[in-house]
Amino acid sequence: MSEPGRRGRRRRGALLWPGLALPGIVWLCLFFLVPFYVVLGVAFGTVDPLFLTPQPEWNPLRWDPQAFEFVWAGLQSGGGFRTVFLRTLAYVVIAVALSLLIAYPVAYYVARFGGRFRGLLLAGLVAPFLISYLMRMLAWINLLQDDGWVNAVLVWAHVLDAPRTWLDGRASSVILGLVYGYVPFMILPLYAFLDRVDRSLLEAARDLGASRFHAFRLVTWPLSKPAVLAGCVIIALPMFGDYYTPDLLSGSPNTSLLGNQIDLYIRGGQQVPVGAALVVCLMLLLAVFMAYYLYATSRAERRLGR
Amino acid sequence: MSTRHPRQPAGYDRRQFLQRSAGGALALSAFAPLLAACGGENGNGNGGGNGNGGNGGNGGGEPQLQLARPDNPVEWPLLDDNPPIESGLEPESGTLRIYNWNDYLWPRMLRRFEKEYGVTVELTTFSTADEATAKLTSGAVDFDVYFPTPDRLGRLVLGQILQPLNLDYIPNLQNAWPSLQDPFYDQGSRYTVPYTIYTTGIGYRADEIAEPPEAYGNPYDVYFDERNAGKMYLLDDSREAIAHMLLRAGVTDVNTEDPAAIEAAKQELIKLIDLVNVKLSTNDYTYIPEGRATIHQAWSGSLISAPYYLPQGTGPEVLGYWFPQDGRGVIGNDSMAIPKSAQNPVLAHHFLNFLLDEQNGYDNFVNYVGYQPPFTSIDPDRLVSDEVVPPNLESVVVRESDFDVAGFLLELSPEGANTWQNAWAEFKAGV
Repeated sequence: MSEPGRRGRRRRGALLWPGLALPGIVWLCLFFLVPFYVVLGVAFGTVDPLFLTPQPEWNPLRWDPQAFEFVWAGLQSGGGFRTVFLRTLAYVVIAVALSLLIAYPVAYYVARFGGRFRGLLLAGLVAPFLISYLMRMLAWINLLQDDGWVNAVLVWAHVLDAPRTWLDGRASSVILGLVYGYVPFMILPLYAFLDRVDRSLLEAARDLGASRFHAFRLVTWPLSKPAVLAGCVIIALPMFGDYYTPDLLSGSPNTSLLGNQIDLYIRGGQQVPVGAALVVCLMLLLAVFMAYYLYATSRAERRLGR
Repeated sequence: MSTRHPRQPAGYDRRQFLQRSAGGALALSAFAPLLAACGGENGNGNGGGNGNGGNGGNGGGEPQLQLARPDNPVEWPLLDDNPPIESGLEPESGTLRIYNWNDYLWPRMLRRFEKEYGVTVELTTFSTADEATAKLTSGAVDFDVYFPTPDRLGRLVLGQILQPLNLDYIPNLQNAWPSLQDPFYDQGSRYTVPYTIYTTGIGYRADEIAEPPEAYGNPYDVYFDERNAGKMYLLDDSREAIAHMLLRAGVTDVNTEDPAAIEAAKQELIKLIDLVNVKLSTNDYTYIPEGRATIHQAWSGSLISAPYYLPQGTGPEVLGYWFPQDGRGVIGNDSMAIPKSAQNPVLAHHFLNFLLDEQNGYDNFVNYVGYQPPFTSIDPDRLVSDEVVPPNLESVVVRESDFDVAGFLLELSPEGANTWQNAWAEFKAGV
């Protein structure tokens, strides 16, 4: 009796969910896949001989790999792109690690011990980030100036004997800027996850004789790994493309990032395809990270499922 | 590649940041006119025009693109299917649509024009010459007035983006320096009239550096003085920075395409990284007064704006600007033109004439733009006595004699442009 009805419902469900997903898929196609194909077209294309504007090549059979050959040459030992690429990688790895060190305890504290102030604490953490990234970086310039507040406080507290020239092309200032700029995007996913950790699992661990530390190490930390990974991916991706943080907080060629090289080639001149090729190379690298993230989360899910 | 324009923001213009934050605590200097400019409207910033389809390259058999040089003046052809407007027409009554760099026209000047002609003026801005070219060539928008740089002029003429001017409507051109009424990049002013002129020199904080540039046998050596380490900036632009290295090495042709000369200039730039921890920016107009930079390769117009950004209690006498006395430095200028697709070409001619009016051009310059119109009536003495520039910054004023001897950063051949850009990219990669 109930057979046809159930089947009918299932059929309706089979249409309902793809139907609901459709707008999102269309959105992705329009605003991700199409622009990405334009970037590919520009990277493999030419420039207009008269106006020097990029001329994307839409037909993959006629793609001209010249720009990629140029980028490849620059990535060889001694090449400029290689120097910048390795520097970018190092800065991002350090900045992500520092962000995790800062974000995890904060998210953990707010989720576990925030109590009734939890909402307020979270709002307080997010509030500064309602201000645009550039505004906050410009504010850091004032704070880090030779006679800025950071120096004033550190000298007053005898941490420093004399004011430090923070804006003097220092890698540390650029990494500080990156960490400050992106750390809330690490806190939020961690908080969202830690907030949902089943307390009864922790109680069970304690009942079985685990110390607080052991309960954290054996229960909370393994459970939160996907969230940690997600946070790292979320902040690493924009960091790889950042170019204004080093421009504002340093300005030295010795702290320039891959984003600066892309900016240089895209912004002016007739070598826009080189800039587009750099974008494609960077995206390939990020795709590797994304693939690892997807693999790791699906593995974790499978393990939980078992 | 096109040269960087002083009005090309780095994407995060500190001037706009200060304007938008309604800078209450900013120091009031004697330069009230510039203050009045603060808080002015910024036009409607238009995002990047990109991806124009197959509009470009007009087929063969047409006039060749020439590289205009002072010793190779170019008279751009008048094309049969692109005639100038007839003389004696009445100005249209439609909306005048202007396409200009950001912060490069005094808004009140536009209101003045509206009142005088009983029309409305609409200002659209762009931030790079490439962006503007892309939008103009796409054919999507019809502007009446455009502000091209001379290095892109030939391409715009041959591509029939601009229409020839009818100088009958622009009698005020006679206010401009004679050499700019008939400039080498547009003989006979067929397509453009001049708008502003500026030089690239060395800006500095006289109270904080060891010695001013003129104290050195070779003034460009100031960049290499270790006593200024950490506070030395060059303009973040491939053409400008390399050009000063070429001049320092005695290469007077700042448009050279000799790979060896460019490579040598790049090596000199790389030396600066370890020697003085060189840094790059285009915020010369704030970094120098704020003291973040004590030496900054700078545009002359930036030093005119700089006193406004000095800390409270510091007078403009601490600022300095060096440009070679004999005029053999780097110079640049901007021009005004009318696109072929203009809907109000007669009104547009009147607008060019309006901005070349002595009083209008002067007001626009001293109240807002900070970049000087090349008028015979403007000279260092007048600007100092009008308190537009303090006496110690007299060198920011461009003299007509400079125009005849200074080097313009002009269009290069495609290969030459790539050589310059790649050398710059390698320097910017650091070591």
